[in-house]
Amino acid sequence: MTCEITSHPLSLARAERHLADRASGAVVLFAGRVRQDGAPGRRIAALEYETDRRMVLERLRGLERQAIRRFGARRVYIIHRIGRIRVGAASVLIGVAAPHRSTAFHAARFLIEELKREVPIWKADRWARAPAGHPPRTPPRRRGARSPG
Amino acid sequence: MKSSVRVLFFATAREAVGAPSADREVPAAGSTIEAVLSGLVKEHPRLEPVLASSRIARNGRYVAGPRARVLPGDEIAVHPPYSGG
Repeated sequence: MTCEITSHPLSLARAERHLADRASGAVVLFAGRVRQDGAPGRRIAALEYETDRRMVLERLRGLERQAIRRFGARRVYIIHRIGRIRVGAASVLIGVAAPHRSTAFHAARFLIEELKREVPIWKADRWARAPAGHPPRTPPRRRGARSPG
Repeated sequence: MKSSVRVLFFATAREAVGAPSADREVPAAGSTIEAVLSGLVKEHPRLEPVLASSRIARNGRYVAGPRARVLPGDEIAVHPPYSGG
């Protein structure tokens, strides 16, 4: 079982290794990535993530325990990156290995939804410089997240 | 012997206060979350609407309500709505 916060790029291969389990016939891996968004003259270049380090791992482990007890997951992998993350890079990986696909899908969905609602992690938009001829408008504060769907 | 509590501000709370943390004196017998935070709101009015939607933790645990006790040496965290993922 793995719950981690890191400032380094995330690796799908590493996640897959953590989910190795001969009794699990299904593996679901979800990657949330920073997506390109905005309009001409106001374009997101990156998201900056922060966390409350004192509480975050305990909250993630609580979700992991629920995925095992409530959904029957056999292996769980949760890793969230913090710091500045550029468009296209992954901010979060959620992996579940379970005997059957329906359990794996349900548990993975549960984990990402609960992570967004219940885990002390925050993101802030970082805007690209405006191209010539497009003076930047002041962006509305925290105008919605541009990451995982 | 500490006579203060440290308040940590995250995300929009930090933006409202303009600092990641603040230390506030409390009586040796303790005080309440409400008293500490209302003192901060007087100094930083922009913090008030942020607090309305924030969760408050003391020493790594969410508190039940604004009347929760705080003692010197405690650490209080102001958590605006989460936005990870």
